[in-house]
Amino acid sequence: MRQIITALMLGTFSLNAFAYLDPGTGSMILQGLIAGIAVAGFTIKTYWYKLRSLFGKNQTASLLDDDLEPKIDEEQK
Amino acid sequence: MNLLPSSFRDPSGFVFSHDHTIYRQVNNTFSGNYDRFMSSGLYEALVSKGLLVAHEDVTDSDLPRTDSCHRIIRPTHLPFISYPYEWSYSQLKDAAILTLRIQARALKFGFVLKDASAYNIQFVDSRPLFIDTLSFEPYEEGTPWVAYRQFCQHFLAPLALMATVDIDLGKLLITHIDGIPLPLASKLLPWSTKLKYGIQAHIHLHARVQTDYADSAGTDQNAGNRAQKARNAKLSTTGLKAIIESLASTIDKLKWKPAQTEWGDYYSHTNYSDQATLKKRELVDSFLSAIDTPLATIHDLGANTGEFSRIAANHGSLIISQDIDPVAVERNYRECRGSETKNILPLVQNLFAPSPSIGWANEERESFRQRANCDAILALALVHHLAISNNTPLSHIASLFSSLGNWLIIEFVPKSDSQVVRLLETREDVFPDYTEQGFEKAFSVYFSIVKKASVSGTERSLYLMASLNSAEPSTLQSTGP
Repeated sequence: MRQIITALMLGTFSLNAFAYLDPGTGSMILQGLIAGIAVAGFTIKTYWYKLRSLFGKNQTASLLDDDLEPKIDEEQK
Repeated sequence: MNLLPSSFRDPSGFVFSHDHTIYRQVNNTFSGNYDRFMSSGLYEALVSKGLLVAHEDVTDSDLPRTDSCHRIIRPTHLPFISYPYEWSYSQLKDAAILTLRIQARALKFGFVLKDASAYNIQFVDSRPLFIDTLSFEPYEEGTPWVAYRQFCQHFLAPLALMATVDIDLGKLLITHIDGIPLPLASKLLPWSTKLKYGIQAHIHLHARVQTDYADSAGTDQNAGNRAQKARNAKLSTTGLKAIIESLASTIDKLKWKPAQTEWGDYYSHTNYSDQATLKKRELVDSFLSAIDTPLATIHDLGANTGEFSRIAANHGSLIISQDIDPVAVERNYRECRGSETKNILPLVQNLFAPSPSIGWANEERESFRQRANCDAILALALVHHLAISNNTPLSHIASLFSSLGNWLIIEFVPKSDSQVVRLLETREDVFPDYTEQGFEKAFSVYFSIVKKASVSGTERSLYLMASLNSAEPSTLQSTGP
């Protein structure tokens, strides 16, 4: 039942009234298509970094962790 | 009401100037979103980290406003506006990562960025800063990111082209004000990039679906179907976060490596011994000290990696450190990023064909010249490139410089200098007036020569000049050579 209600609610959503850009039909649909791989990729990465942390390497899987300063390429500095 | 020509697309509000101050009107149609954003804690979270420009609410009733006004805000003053096609590789990359960090943080507060334009970023204190306070709207769970395409066009496509094809392709942003079209980027990128998941998905496949859906247009029924499909497109919050991480990771993996020989060789290619460089540094420093009017903005033209901009940084509030060479500008930016000196803005600028004014009515983005007014110009080891490489008459150079700034510190590089010998090696010398005397004569029409010194160990001369256009009487301190 909950799933049916969720599906009905999703169906009623419209693009936000303030979306003044044309988001592009293809661009909107593509995000749904590639999300699966992106989620899988990020999940694997998260576990990989967790595994590494067991060996004392302290890094986060996210490049956008907002408690961190923007990453600077040490090799290119 | 003096509307800024760069702010007409978004109906949420607009930017205007009044009494030399920049304000932003928030329109009634956006009032709900704006008030929610301000009370959500997101504004404070971003401003406290230095990611978003701070602003004050203005209640001054004398300010001009339209009938649709909800509120007027005054953002922190930005002394200079630069554009993505003037940024070095790492500047564009840092701007891209900032946009994604803001999007990731906004999601935690239940908001999303409704646009992802590179023009929403400016560089302040050697760091990117997000300047569009009206870009935030409440996140509706299940919806894809409306600014995904714009992000790919404004950031990912130029970065991928610059890193894998040619660094100069960043200049495509001049002819494409809303970012590089993805079908174009896809066509220009090497085939090998199709094997890289991020570039394949966000550029190649993205270009393909865009074209496919555009091709299915034409009949009313198809158009209706497309609108319906776009409306029905779904993306879970986890999926959205993963796509944002994927964009960041794709950008992070792109590496631009300039040819090895180009790095680090800058000052070994000049005509200066260590001793002469030291002398020149001292001279520039003393000429700048001799100017006793305040120096808010100094333009260092032909700044190379910014060696002399760093001296100027002790004398002026902001140094716009410009060079034609993207490798030099990249080095300059990286040095600024890691340095305590924060008042230098490195930019790529080609004086032979400087940034034009682009966009609607040629007014949306200002030209180099419209933004080049300053208090002083540094033109060191530059005049021979302008006069000989570009055949620019000395009088044209003097005329341009005098129209930009009151003070000029300029180095004359004579024909006997090995750098000029090299320039003349392969061509006929059609520059009979290119002598120290001819130089002084041409510049005296527009400037008074205040100081002149030869740079010991070289045949070059350094001048401090005051523009005759200047309204203010030039006064000098008694210090200096």
